[in-house]
Amino acid sequence: MALGPEIQPLSVLCTSVRKLFPRLPWLCLFMALVLGLLVAEPGVAAPQEPAPLPQGGVENEVCLRCHTSPGLTAELPSGEELILYIDPNTFDESAHGRQGQRCTACHTNITGYPHPPLFARDRRDYNLGMYPLCRQCHGDKYAQTLDSMHAKALAGGDRSAAICTDCHGAHDVSDPAFPRAKISNTCAKCHSAIFNDYKESIHGAALLEESNPDVPTCIDCHGVHRMQDPRAPAFRAHSPEMCGNCHADRARMARYGISVDVFTTYVADFHGTTVELFEKLEPNQPTNKAVCYDCHGIHNIKQVTDREATVIKENLLATCRKCHPDATANFPASWTSHYQPSPAHYPVVYYVNLFYQLFIPSVVGFFVSFIIVDAGRRFVDRRRKSKAPWEH
Amino acid sequence: MMETPRKYLRFSAGQRLDHWFMMLSFTVLSLTGVPQKFAGSEWAEAAIALMGGIEAVRIIHRVAATVMMIGAVFHMVGVAYRVLVLRQRLSMLPVPKDLIDMIDAIRYNLGLAVRRPLLDRFSYEEKLEYWAVIWGTGLMILTGFMLWNPIATARFVPGEFIPAAKAAHGGEAILAILSILTWHVYNVHIKHFNRSIFTGFLTRAEMEHEHPLELARIESGREIVVDREVKRRRERVFVPLATVFSLVLLAGIYFFITFEETAIATVPKEKIVVYAPLTPTPMRIVRRPLPTTRPASVMGTPRPGTTPPAAATPTPIPSFNAAILPVFEAKCTACHSTGQDLMLTNYQRTMQGGPSGPIVVPGKPSDSLLVQKMQGIHPVKTTPQELEQIIAWIAGGAPNN
Repeated sequence: MALGPEIQPLSVLCTSVRKLFPRLPWLCLFMALVLGLLVAEPGVAAPQEPAPLPQGGVENEVCLRCHTSPGLTAELPSGEELILYIDPNTFDESAHGRQGQRCTACHTNITGYPHPPLFARDRRDYNLGMYPLCRQCHGDKYAQTLDSMHAKALAGGDRSAAICTDCHGAHDVSDPAFPRAKISNTCAKCHSAIFNDYKESIHGAALLEESNPDVPTCIDCHGVHRMQDPRAPAFRAHSPEMCGNCHADRARMARYGISVDVFTTYVADFHGTTVELFEKLEPNQPTNKAVCYDCHGIHNIKQVTDREATVIKENLLATCRKCHPDATANFPASWTSHYQPSPAHYPVVYYVNLFYQLFIPSVVGFFVSFIIVDAGRRFVDRRRKSKAPWEH
Repeated sequence: MMETPRKYLRFSAGQRLDHWFMMLSFTVLSLTGVPQKFAGSEWAEAAIALMGGIEAVRIIHRVAATVMMIGAVFHMVGVAYRVLVLRQRLSMLPVPKDLIDMIDAIRYNLGLAVRRPLLDRFSYEEKLEYWAVIWGTGLMILTGFMLWNPIATARFVPGEFIPAAKAAHGGEAILAILSILTWHVYNVHIKHFNRSIFTGFLTRAEMEHEHPLELARIESGREIVVDREVKRRRERVFVPLATVFSLVLLAGIYFFITFEETAIATVPKEKIVVYAPLTPTPMRIVRRPLPTTRPASVMGTPRPGTTPPAAATPTPIPSFNAAILPVFEAKCTACHSTGQDLMLTNYQRTMQGGPSGPIVVPGKPSDSLLVQKMQGIHPVKTTPQELEQIIAWIAGGAPNN
């Protein structure tokens, strides 16, 4: 059942029709990828752009004179303590500390002592009040977050929705993508149930146990800063291409012996044809046709040879029945399991195709040659006689 | 009509209607089907977008398929009428002469024969097309049923037959369309625009040229003409039978298009717990132990569970200059020593207070802002021991001692 690396050689005749438009979709996809890489945000792994050093403000030593005293706290109206203690080493080792940023670069409202009063009602309130200041230097990323699910949830009144500092930290900001597993561990802080599924998956296990550089972390599918609602029709419609970005990548798949036909065979089938059309023509309309994760699972994707895999033969009927409740034992075989039909896999489909690949050119070839000869003869006849009898 | 006709009836109104059914449904099926077959290409996407998206295209395709199937039923009834009631010759049945005619035609075209074959009512060209349509329509209906009702199909045949049916449906469609574009277009549009399928009639010249054997049969009076009374008698049997037959087939079509609910309309959403925060990350913070007890005089009432301080031995009032001012100088005057603000540089300035008013209310430590600040929000704090001294000093009347 494993999708081995063997790629069935296409029949020489096989592409008589498909040859008309052989690589156009792939070319488009490739161009889009290249273009996307060129214009896309550098992503978390890219080096941070050097932020301008502050001109004004107060030297950090002045702040640290007080804020290094352990136990320095303020009681907020909610009764929570706001910790005002800073470990100078933590800050110095952080991305901002290494740049020599001043405390007042972020704490812009503080210019001396006494400080202006704290308006925060509780600790979250304080963080929510502070995080928009990240915009001063990271305006592009900040603007992207405004489109995100997190920002929408926050605007909707969910105070626990993630803000800059929830993921990046405040005084201890460091490379969010090093080591790579840090990315998914960051999301796990709020999405631990999903993370627990993910870490058992083929992707998650490889990331967390082997630091595999090829498997997706959370943000490879969900995006970063601008993460969209994964329940939205557009996300669903786009998802096969998302999976295809890696699973149709020959070099990447070759390292694991995984077939790269999975995307094309999916698109060639009813489900994939429909979803691709939705993606291109009406991405915001919901479609009930299956996408990759409807069959393979979302966060708990297993290797196709895993006994728990939703798509292993023993489990496939149950998987089909999620959408086709009346399906019976034969039904799963109506999907060609990402195989290109060949004499070995799905021979009936292969031979039907082969038949038409031979039959259509034969019949039409006969018609055309008959017509050419017939028309030629009529042309000659008409030149000889004056006109056909019914043409007056 | 029969008196020395300049025109010869070729197709009855029913047969012309047959053609309309087929022509319209075939065209719509082609326009909606071919883009589905080549859905990956840009022109197909454009065509699908033009027709309102893939789901709309599928609906149109299925409506047209239904029309074609109704047309097929109508055609069967018409054939049965012409055969059973009118007792017309089975002029569309292939006979060996057709093969000979075709070979003769090719031979003539190649200059190997002196004249074209003489053709009857339906030529080999027409029979080829007709039977191709019959075969093709049957195959398209069969494979179409399998694609329309894959769950039901898989109950009876291996699942693999469904993608095979899709392959055959697409292959047969291409064959049919290319046949129409070559064979049909050439024979009835280019070679000679034959309008009889719309008008019903051929001229004598057309008959002479294209169907000389039929013309000869008509002129010799050998064509079967059914007596009106006989016809009426046969119709009395035929009409009820044909009605039942049609109703059964139409019921079959209804069954075809409503047989199964292949898939549920909306994919079930997986229940995922999205927000499941981990327990708060432990913060790296060095905290000094908080004082376990606070002075009773500040707290007013002692906290439950804490022992009230022994009030038995009156403590002497700490000296401002010896005990309090050194604390101010160590902890406070870094800030509170300049300008108009609170200055804790000496007794007078301490008692004078700052912008918020006096910070010391003699005898009332809990009302004194100094104590409140040291117990509440303030960046720099005194130690509990130092605070106890301050409280004792204020409680003792805050003297300048």
